[in-house]
Amino acid sequence: MDVRTPARDADDVLLTREWVGKAVPRREDSRHVQGRARYVDDLDMDTAHVAFVRSPHAHARITRIDTARAEALPGVFAVITGRDIAANTNPVAPRGITAPVVQYVMAVEKVRYVGEPVVAVAAATQYVAEDAAGRVEVEYEALPPVVEIEDAVAANAPLVFEEAGSNVLLHDKFEHGDVEGAFRGADLVVEETFRIPRFSSTPLEPWAMIVRHDPGNDSFAVWSNDQQPGRTAINVARTLRVPIDTIRFIIPDSGGGFGIKLAVWPYIVILCVLARRAARPVRWIQTRSEHLLAGSHTPDALIDAALALKRDGTILAIRVQSKENDGSFVHTAGIYPLIKFAVIVGCYGIRATSFEFRSVATNKAPTVQNRGVGKPAMIFVLERLVDLAARALAIDPVEMRFRNFVPPARMPYTTPTGEVYESGDYPECLRRALALAGYDEWKAKRVELRKAGRYVGIGVATGIEPGTSNLGYYYISRGRPDFLGNVEGAMVGVDFDGGINVLTGSVDSGQGHATTVAQIVADMLAIHPERVSMNTHFDSGMSPFAPHSGTYANRFNDVEVGAVIAATKKLRAKMLRIAAFVLGVHERSLVFHDGTIHVEGDPAKGIPFQEVAAYAYKKALLLPDDIEPGLREIAYYQNRAAKVPRREEFNIQLTHSNAAHVVVAEVDVATGFVTLLKYVIVHDCGRQLNPGIVEGMVIGSTVHGIGASLFEEFVYSPEGQLLTGTFMDYLKPVALTVPRFELGEMESPCPTSPLGTKAVGEGGAITSLPAIANAVEDALAPFGVTVRSLPITPEKTLRALQHSKVI
Amino acid sequence: MVIRVRINGRTFEHDVEPRMLLVHYIRQKARLTGTHIGCDTGNCGACTILVDGKAVKSCMMLAAQADGRELLTIEGLAREDGLHPLQQAFIEKFAIQCGYCTPGMIMSAYALLGSTPVPSEHQIREALEGNLCMCTGYQQIVDAIEAASAAAGAGAGGSHGR
Repeated sequence: MDVRTPARDADDVLLTREWVGKAVPRREDSRHVQGRARYVDDLDMDTAHVAFVRSPHAHARITRIDTARAEALPGVFAVITGRDIAANTNPVAPRGITAPVVQYVMAVEKVRYVGEPVVAVAAATQYVAEDAAGRVEVEYEALPPVVEIEDAVAANAPLVFEEAGSNVLLHDKFEHGDVEGAFRGADLVVEETFRIPRFSSTPLEPWAMIVRHDPGNDSFAVWSNDQQPGRTAINVARTLRVPIDTIRFIIPDSGGGFGIKLAVWPYIVILCVLARRAARPVRWIQTRSEHLLAGSHTPDALIDAALALKRDGTILAIRVQSKENDGSFVHTAGIYPLIKFAVIVGCYGIRATSFEFRSVATNKAPTVQNRGVGKPAMIFVLERLVDLAARALAIDPVEMRFRNFVPPARMPYTTPTGEVYESGDYPECLRRALALAGYDEWKAKRVELRKAGRYVGIGVATGIEPGTSNLGYYYISRGRPDFLGNVEGAMVGVDFDGGINVLTGSVDSGQGHATTVAQIVADMLAIHPERVSMNTHFDSGMSPFAPHSGTYANRFNDVEVGAVIAATKKLRAKMLRIAAFVLGVHERSLVFHDGTIHVEGDPAKGIPFQEVAAYAYKKALLLPDDIEPGLREIAYYQNRAAKVPRREEFNIQLTHSNAAHVVVAEVDVATGFVTLLKYVIVHDCGRQLNPGIVEGMVIGSTVHGIGASLFEEFVYSPEGQLLTGTFMDYLKPVALTVPRFELGEMESPCPTSPLGTKAVGEGGAITSLPAIANAVEDALAPFGVTVRSLPITPEKTLRALQHSKVI
Repeated sequence: MVIRVRINGRTFEHDVEPRMLLVHYIRQKARLTGTHIGCDTGNCGACTILVDGKAVKSCMMLAAQADGRELLTIEGLAREDGLHPLQQAFIEKFAIQCGYCTPGMIMSAYALLGSTPVPSEHQIREALEGNLCMCTGYQQIVDAIEAASAAAGAGAGGSHGR
């Protein structure tokens, strides 16, 4: 991989330096503050409404469905069951798992989780639809459920998928470097078992979709808040058994994604079948109860991990064994384990890794790639072990980290598994975080406060935030990649009136893409961003999308920006050719300036963009033979850092940001409540395009981590019933329960992206988990409590203080 | 049953089912879709509006209960000469990402500034306890409300639209 100098690239790319890097206010915001955004349910369309009958059992055979009473209700247009789905669609295709399983988008013969859709009703209003759903009679023969990992892997456990022969749908092990030698030669081995809860980023707008069927050509139009138009188009078309071009996908405003809206597509399939039957457009707006119950979650996990260490604190090896509770949706089962390889060694120069993992099927809800996707859990485990090792070796936990960091001089650094950290200065990042936090002052304060009976702790964690998935990594266990690398498309053109317009293949769920792209294109064409418009409402009829397209895996700053730059370069080159021809000069003598192209030093000898467009479109007859009419360019871009995966060497993700979190937490030992007194983040996402947007990403992402660390868990009864089914019980952070964050920044430019940008969407959710856990454990050090699980609830804290010494 | 509701200074009259939620009435009958639905249990605050000057979660009221009342929704906040200071401040402080919580947040902030024109940070955070945001982590929203209260003084909030 050749390392290009980002500064030189930026010179090739940007003509001016007015906008990129500035906190330009978001143009999107005007419609949001006036209530003029257009989310799916805001679209003014006359549609039927859909309600679902969902399984009340975690595990059962469906023995009888009677829809007659529902169908007889006035205002009901259609009712479909799993039988209709099985007759009209293909089973869901698995991706990560290797066990042979058959599953459809609706329950067919059995139900595998409480909330699995069994019957779908389309009616005149949502009220009538729910009335009708209440009139459907379903009889079940209950089967014994398996809910927790330990039960699912036990001998003779009831099988979620009988045809798989086991509830372990994927089992694999990867070893790199001399792991055995490292553990044999270690002065100390620190080992622990960790529990990661089931949680979710719960976007405030749940899933939503409208499907319109045109019987004339058996085609569909779908409006949804999907996050991945590329894969959804492929998945829906394949499952529905229709050509891709018979489905038009439109994605308007979306109220948050965080990965949760990657699992929307099976319901699109259901609505397509329903729309055909109802002979009118159908609309489904997921309720919050449905979202928490049967939307999708981060899998809960049991992770055994160990570090092999030298007495001086050097980490020789890491060994991880994880079991993920992947619930029961075969398309996303097995995705979480392999992603952990992107951060398995964290910021450290650990040279031997062993990772054995199992994807376990249970009767819990489906799982999906939620913000961070397994990397929060991996960094949590690693950073917790580092603290535990520091304690065992009587080395300061901060000093431990400095002793193990990959030094900046070794960048780009390849980990034992093949992940390439392209740039970063981890020691400096931590130094700045400690300074910003007043670490030494807090260490002294901690002593004083303990004397006064207040239990305050300091937690430090460093983490890697990868960006852009090398898709197809989840096939490393199966052997046949369906995707390789990551591609995005963009189209940039000059309108007939001289304005610049941009379309990309991706979607926006709050990241301010339109504003950021306008900044880049403005600096590339030496104009004001106001002259650049970008329509972030995806439309498969217009948007240049690739199968990889979507907002997930932190990829915007890499491949989407790359595609916009590539397309704008093509456009700029063509504009230069036309201008040179019209002005009768050589291209080399021309400059772009404020919406015109003119001879350098002679602004009078120039041509405005509008006139260039006139030549390209209206007066094309005047163009020479070797200049094609039109002024709109498409480019597809990929990040060539992706490797074709081999078991010995692979990279899961293509860019690597990093951060250090320093947290001061106080634990009230009478109530168990944790208060975050101070929260400092120093992050490095390479070059920042818009610092105002970046700050929001860092803080918002960290609050997701605070939720998972202190408040949120999907709790199930032994029968598989979800007990935390509303926001009363599934507790989200609010303004009063999160601290004021203090942020510092560094920019280690990325050598593999045209502007040196890296990812900044998931990082806070990754490094926050161990930072908070380390702070709580430090606060409770006088009591000898170890933090092994999340969330750190008051109940668990009190139990630990009173009996178990373990959270 | 027929109800008459004034929303943002305009009168609406409709025949509604007794069980129709006010938030559905606002969105579907009055066709004001700026008020959003984010939960089923009155927890998230995305549906916050003002009813007779008081901040109310419109998913927790029936449309019938709004008969004869005066409602203010996000669409009614902008002034003749431009955006309300709260709206302007939200933009300036990057207090918006996906935008779904924004109308409810702004309405709650509007109600707060009406009763407490210069709130402390703690008062702001407490007033937003019933408004969930999944994107921003709240900090820039708090900053926006502080900025709006500083910018507009006594005119920044209120119990009525204009």
